[in-house]
Amino acid sequence: MRYARRAATILALAALVATSACSVEDDPGSGSSDASAKCGSGKDFLIGMSQANNAEPYRQVMNDDVSNAAKSVPGFKVVVSDAAQDNSKQVADVENFLSQGINLLIISPNEAKPLTAVVKKAYDQGIPVIVLDRKVEGDAYTAFIGGDNVAIGKAAGEYYAKTLLPQGGNVVEISGLPGSTPAAERAQGFREGIASNPKIKIVASQTAEWLREKGQSVMDAMLKSTPDIDAVYAHNDPMAEGAYLAAKAAGKETAIKFTGIDALPVPSGGIKAVEQGRLQATFQYPTGGREAIDLAKKILVDCAKDVPKTTTLGTQQITKENAAEVYTTLGGKQ
Amino acid sequence: MNSPNPTSVAEAPRETPPRRGPIRLPRDRHAIVDSFFRFQSLFGLAAVFIIAIAVSPVRNGESVFLSSGNLANIVRAVSEIGIIAVGMTFVILIGGIDLSVGAVLGLAAVGSATLMVDSGMGILPTVLIVLLIGTAFGATQGAIVARLGIQSFIVTLAGLQAARGIARMWSGGLGIPIAYGDGPQEAPEAFSTLSGSINGVLPVPALLFLAIGVGALLVLRSTAFARHVYAIGGNEKAARLSGVPVRRVRITVFAISGLLAALAGIIHAGQLNQGSPNDGAGYELDAIAAVVIGGTSLAGGSGSMGGTIAGALLLGILNNILALNNIDANVQLVVKGLVIVAAAALQKLRPRIA
Repeated sequence: MRYARRAATILALAALVATSACSVEDDPGSGSSDASAKCGSGKDFLIGMSQANNAEPYRQVMNDDVSNAAKSVPGFKVVVSDAAQDNSKQVADVENFLSQGINLLIISPNEAKPLTAVVKKAYDQGIPVIVLDRKVEGDAYTAFIGGDNVAIGKAAGEYYAKTLLPQGGNVVEISGLPGSTPAAERAQGFREGIASNPKIKIVASQTAEWLREKGQSVMDAMLKSTPDIDAVYAHNDPMAEGAYLAAKAAGKETAIKFTGIDALPVPSGGIKAVEQGRLQATFQYPTGGREAIDLAKKILVDCAKDVPKTTTLGTQQITKENAAEVYTTLGGKQ
Repeated sequence: MNSPNPTSVAEAPRETPPRRGPIRLPRDRHAIVDSFFRFQSLFGLAAVFIIAIAVSPVRNGESVFLSSGNLANIVRAVSEIGIIAVGMTFVILIGGIDLSVGAVLGLAAVGSATLMVDSGMGILPTVLIVLLIGTAFGATQGAIVARLGIQSFIVTLAGLQAARGIARMWSGGLGIPIAYGDGPQEAPEAFSTLSGSINGVLPVPALLFLAIGVGALLVLRSTAFARHVYAIGGNEKAARLSGVPVRRVRITVFAISGLLAALAGIIHAGQLNQGSPNDGAGYELDAIAAVVIGGTSLAGGSGSMGGTIAGALLLGILNNILALNNIDANVQLVVKGLVIVAAAALQKLRPRIA
């Protein structure tokens, strides 16, 4: 009796481990090719995409852009890892890719300094490395692709100066995480953009750390502390939406204009918010996912030797007029 | 046998009290089964290892999993979690929990970077100060638990917040990059040893983890301190009545946990060339997972250090083999959850079967 139960327990454990192992069996044998010095058409390529944090919608869209673009290139197979915002985990992710023998690495680093060494290690092994969105230090990588936050902030500022508030007005700014580069650059660009219209004043600036719920509570406070708000410039769409909710609760959502940044083509993203009239405008912060695969194709399939070291992506302004169209163009899911 | 109350004794009647501490040879059938559960994590580790070999991708005719580079990566990647799990084992053995270890790791990483880069200190004073900070932080939490009788869950939850706050204030909220050299804003070159390896094979952090694991194993097997730890976890009142210095042991245990978290933080900074106040977020949960997979009961009083080391390695291998097979990141989380539950379920079965 005892033995039977004991055996059952052991079997249960074995079964559990075996089940997890079965799901593991994807296709061992992939990546059987040698990574170094191999390019040309008609071959199979394994591309490792090391993502800093899948939990952010922007980064999920980046992964989708990479995966979808890769589907149209014969022979490309992309595997995505999620570092969950942990530098150590991202180093281990890249090491695992190297063990697997990837042919090309795409990485969006969580932070520059801690990832520099492992990116260099990959590069030194002869694996082309495309760095997306956030940089690493030094120049031991093949190419960097990213948006220009100063330019995006400036585009937003010019929209305020010429279109949104041509007569001038009081603007409150809801900024991203203090100390983060995009927050600093989006603030700086905006000030450059509104400079042409001296009647626009930034009357208050508070951080909501990129978060929708904090955008709401910050806006709650500003509605009380700051009279006569004409517009809210938020450093991203979720904070703009949060601010909109706060204004709505105060019955001021039609008197105040809201804009955001990022324009993710997802149902909860800024483009839909513009289309539905909650935001006046948003400004696309491109993921660079498609561009990365284009570049990967040049390197792996076309055997290109010289690719541009830095590609700076432009932005596009999204207002009610073009929202639906842009949503479709960017591959948004209905 | 993990609960000290009399009913569970009635469920599993036997003459001898539950075995703790030093491992003895099994004397009867119960003991044989008991030792299976005692070493469940070792069996689990062996099983996962064999499965990993079996499902490993093959490249150029060689198993990717078994390549020396990959095995070294596994131990390197798991070493920080492993070191804090060693400290966590002591805490859990006395029936406590330490949620502050990840934040203390971040604080220590920031401290290492700041002291060397901004204050221009050498490696030795930096390491000593950071270890002292970690120890003092842990001891303070232990003292609050012991003197005020507040649950360690609450005290260390508060400690988690406080350590993150201090780390953010100290660093100005940003990661402090560590550059190496002789200049005024540079750390001594020797500190980068932490990201290196011995003979190009064994990573330095892995070596430290193994050294600390073996040290703690010996401490837990053969010292009076260890007997006190088990006694408190088993039945605190009885321990106190039989003359165990309960408060002192409590404070020591939390101090050890803080010390090891700080050590992990120093290694973290050395490996990543940066000290960031947000480092180590969530590491406390991974460390607890390693301890639980290692067969230590969250109720305290029963468990082993060998189990924790095996548990940490098991988690590392699991992470690695799932990644090598390109399993979706979300599926990986589910699999890890299942393994933790399975380990805990086995512990629950132990008194019933044995």
